[in-house]
Amino acid sequence: MSLFTAGLMVGGVLSATVAWVAAGVLGWVPRPVRITTLVLIGLAVVAQELRLIHVKLPANHRQVPQEIFDKVPYWSALQFGFELGTGVMTYLPSAVPYLLLAAIVFLQAPLHVALVAGASFGLGRAAMALSRTASQDSGSWDLSLRDRLRIIQPLAGVASLVACATLLLG
Amino acid sequence: MTASVRRAATDPMTPALLCAGGVVAAALGSSDVLAWMSLGGLAGYALSGSV
Repeated sequence: MSLFTAGLMVGGVLSATVAWVAAGVLGWVPRPVRITTLVLIGLAVVAQELRLIHVKLPANHRQVPQEIFDKVPYWSALQFGFELGTGVMTYLPSAVPYLLLAAIVFLQAPLHVALVAGASFGLGRAAMALSRTASQDSGSWDLSLRDRLRIIQPLAGVASLVACATLLLG
Repeated sequence: MTASVRRAATDPMTPALLCAGGVVAAALGSSDVLAWMSLGGLAGYALSGSV
């Protein structure tokens, strides 16, 4: 595993841990209210990904600064991964991560599954870099991603909502 | 690896389809951990292209 991927996973785990703490703080909220809120957020996320609505979501409008690459290479890779892995320190072109956070909070995820979800978030981000590198043609891959995102993001929204329903009913 | 296999394996859709397949498998197998893994993976991969 590269340091970049490790940083992504650590960042994801950190954000998931914060969400898990928030879940504990909101533990007093009655379950029907929590579930209703999650369902509404899930439907809004799907509508956003399908471009049916446009809600400006809170996001940090920045990219990872170039200066981090002036550091020792190992630390640069780790920090770059970490900043992307938190999901809160750079642009968010999709609303699906909000559904992940909402699921952890409103389904009151146990710590171990919150950590699994956070690490998986990091791996999901790493998949882009891994797939792009493995393609051996990053230029074509970038063009292909640009086209495929019109399908990938709605698919991710719908599939995430189904995953939430599975967790809710399971 | 032949070029066509490489192209399919590294198509940008592939990770998204794998995660969506994970959701279906989690629903069929009643696996909460797989559902959380798929949920996390989808959320991360949906941000592809953003740095």
